[in-house]
Amino acid sequence: MDIKEAGPFPVKKEQFRMTVNGQAWEVAAVPTTHLSDLLRKEFQLTGTKVSCGIGRCGACSILIDGKLANACMTMAYQADGHSITTIEGLQKEELDMCQTAFLEEGGFQCGYCTPGMIIALKALFRETPQPSDKDIEEGLAGNLCRCTGYGGIMRSACRIRRELNGGRRESGF
Amino acid sequence: MIINKPSRVRPDGRGKVTGELKYMTDLSFPGMLYGKVLRSAYPHAEIVSVCTIKAEKMEGVQAVVTHKDVPGLNRFGIVIPDQPVLCEDRVRYVGDAIAAVAAETEEIAEAALELIQVEYKELEVMDSPEKALRPNAQRLHEDGNILHRAFFSNGDVEEGFQASDTVFEETYELPRQMHTYMETEGGVAVPEDDGGFTMYAGTQHGYKDRFQLARIFDIPEEKIRIVSSPMGGSFGGKDELNIQPYAALLALKSGRPVKIHQTRKESVRSGIKRHPMKITIKTGADHSGNLLAHDVKIVADTGAYATLGPAVLDFSVEHAAGPYRIPNIRTEGISVFTNNGVAGEFRGFGGNQITFALETHLDRLSGMLGIDPLELRRKNIRKPHDLGPLEHRIAPTDGAAQVLNAISKSPILKKTSRNCGYLQRGTGAAITMHGGGLGFGRMDAAGGRLSLSSEGKITASFGFEECGQGILAAIEQIVMEELGCAAEDISIVIGDTAKVPKSGSSTASRGTSMVWHAIQRLKKPFLAQLKKRAAEWSGCSAENLIPGAAGLRDKNTKALVVTYKELAEKGPLAEETAFDFPTTPDPVVGGHFLYSFGAAAVEVEVDLLTGDVKLIDCEHAIAAGPVVSPQGYRGQIEGGAAMALGYTLMEEAKMTDGRYAAENLDHYLIPGIKDVPDMKLIAIEDLMKGDVYGPRGVGEIGTIAITPAIVKAVHDAVGCWINKLPISREELLEAIDRKGLKQWT
Repeated sequence: MDIKEAGPFPVKKEQFRMTVNGQAWEVAAVPTTHLSDLLRKEFQLTGTKVSCGIGRCGACSILIDGKLANACMTMAYQADGHSITTIEGLQKEELDMCQTAFLEEGGFQCGYCTPGMIIALKALFRETPQPSDKDIEEGLAGNLCRCTGYGGIMRSACRIRRELNGGRRESGF
Repeated sequence: MIINKPSRVRPDGRGKVTGELKYMTDLSFPGMLYGKVLRSAYPHAEIVSVCTIKAEKMEGVQAVVTHKDVPGLNRFGIVIPDQPVLCEDRVRYVGDAIAAVAAETEEIAEAALELIQVEYKELEVMDSPEKALRPNAQRLHEDGNILHRAFFSNGDVEEGFQASDTVFEETYELPRQMHTYMETEGGVAVPEDDGGFTMYAGTQHGYKDRFQLARIFDIPEEKIRIVSSPMGGSFGGKDELNIQPYAALLALKSGRPVKIHQTRKESVRSGIKRHPMKITIKTGADHSGNLLAHDVKIVADTGAYATLGPAVLDFSVEHAAGPYRIPNIRTEGISVFTNNGVAGEFRGFGGNQITFALETHLDRLSGMLGIDPLELRRKNIRKPHDLGPLEHRIAPTDGAAQVLNAISKSPILKKTSRNCGYLQRGTGAAITMHGGGLGFGRMDAAGGRLSLSSEGKITASFGFEECGQGILAAIEQIVMEELGCAAEDISIVIGDTAKVPKSGSSTASRGTSMVWHAIQRLKKPFLAQLKKRAAEWSGCSAENLIPGAAGLRDKNTKALVVTYKELAEKGPLAEETAFDFPTTPDPVVGGHFLYSFGAAAVEVEVDLLTGDVKLIDCEHAIAAGPVVSPQGYRGQIEGGAAMALGYTLMEEAKMTDGRYAAENLDHYLIPGIKDVPDMKLIAIEDLMKGDVYGPRGVGEIGTIAITPAIVKAVHDAVGCWINKLPISREELLEAIDRKGLKQWT
């Protein structure tokens, strides 16, 4: 029989453990499953979007152990044992200051790139609390937006920088 | 931006920044299957046979459909239904669908597609309008290879040319641009007990989808419910049907919900694009710069099927002289079927192509005449009460002169520092005029409803969709301003045919405008009903009550008399309206009535070593009536500009032999944050005295003038004229070399 006729290549599922937004998960998955699929389909965390699927647009940006990553380029086995933060994990009782900045400055339109943008800025400000405009551009260079022309996104980032500089809030970074 | 209005947080903002908002492609239903569509392997071929037996037998596959499973009309198309839902015997582009599969997982569905055997007989690929127009060319459709011709003429161009001192002719080439909405097409079809279904999928006109799907399924429209909002961007690209028929066919056949969410690659292959056009312009002027004759020929590559191709061409023809009055004009357009994808509706709608050609042409002509380019425009600009571009009556407007004057004062155009070694800077400006609504002779009905919900919310219902443009914010703002209630008193319902009245499409810069018109019609009778009920409830006279935050208030003391919630306890209350988008009284098909105006001034930097062009600075002047929602207005103009920047400098969905050269965002590049500078915006809000048409939409106006402004600025920097977009670095470098600008080499 033609191998194609046998259907999808049978791959054994394995058990993986990971912490997602502070919650421990154990999941059976094919090791090469994209983390974006795992998040969206298994955990119903649909805030992480997939737009290109090849790591170019950043819509699937997440934090793995606090570091920025593309969920579409990460496989289940690579996430095993790690701590993952998605957009849904930012909000505690109130909105994260990055979320508030986007809300007030109009850093979004259709909103599809927004979770990824916010996560990417989260990673940037964690490493560089007072980034220059160039640093912000560099920090968001992996995230595409088709609606805003980036004006509102830049204004949102500048607002976060101002607020961190003024020390008006606990940074939480 | 100078707008005397505070910015408000958008009603859909919280869900978007938290990731909690569910787009149609985020939905899941119990027992849901995943669907995949088999697209053609060839851009042009006969289908000899299709065999689905192996796919059907595959474990996990629940349904396979081909054209035999289409109960009604196996065609779609908003105006002309010429595109097969599932092809019977012939494919005309690489996105043509042949079969679709629903399976327990996406992986199984994808594997099952591989098992469908299609035997093709390849046909010659018509990969350009020139080829498709050859006398012996194979016919792509029964009526031949011409989708549409459009023509306009006034005066006598030959006489005009004879009277001209300078006559200049050039041909301009425009690329195929991809919408590149971040959310690719997708959604879920859920079968319902009555034999119908609910389609959860983004579109720009839910009721039109319902009409088209009813025709395909041969069932009454009422059996189909369309939930079409929110969407992760559309820009015209989801106006036509995309995955809806396949998800619904599979759902009805399997009896289970079916989700299809196209990958980017599938989206590139099947989705519509902006029309590539070749535009030849010949313009004559006298020595003092009066334009005397304008002869324009437009050839559009419309691809394999019609969708809104005819209307796009009509729009280009209409805007061929833009905001200028030229006594002798002749414009001829032809839209040609090819095997190059499908071109259709895209933000700007034919205006982008023609305006690039027109404005660049005028810049070049001004150089020959030795007249300042903005002065040349000023000499020929339309006056407030002039007829429209098709010699038809339009709503009087001074927008053209307003944006031209405003942009003439831009500090960008006064910049003098130009030269920094191998980086050369230049500046340029351009203006545009853009019709709103669908135009005369096209079905362009609008409407809306105000009601009091049982929870005491003033509910505004419209058949519009939130694509990202901010229609929810516009509705909230207009209802607040016109009724006098608070944002907390309002609930908004859109994008669900089970709940909303017909409002027409969320296209053509018409949404905000139509909401304003609807509320103008609704507010008086709705408030009268509220007041009557409040008067009965409170014993106050209706004249002494005015609507305010939380309820009706005493006109003088502003004290709360009765809350909306209390009024709602007395039962439902609603007002509905239906009307048409205002049109010209003159029967000119496609002619618009309400126009908006835009201008852009830009500074660019050209790298003489790499040919790279970078936008350094940018200012817009927009005249589109009062600003409804400041954040939304600004976002539309800035976002539109970025999209135009991509169109000018980097984007082309190139096709070779009928196949896309770039399949994803690694090769099809759109602007990133480093490509777009901070932009300034002048919003000119005043309308002509007595204008009763309120705010015009700004969804498209920001996408148009930027392109010719950049091209002018490149010329200013390096002295090379561009007549083909996107600006090719290689061609620009060659031109720079020919000019001998690299003096150090």
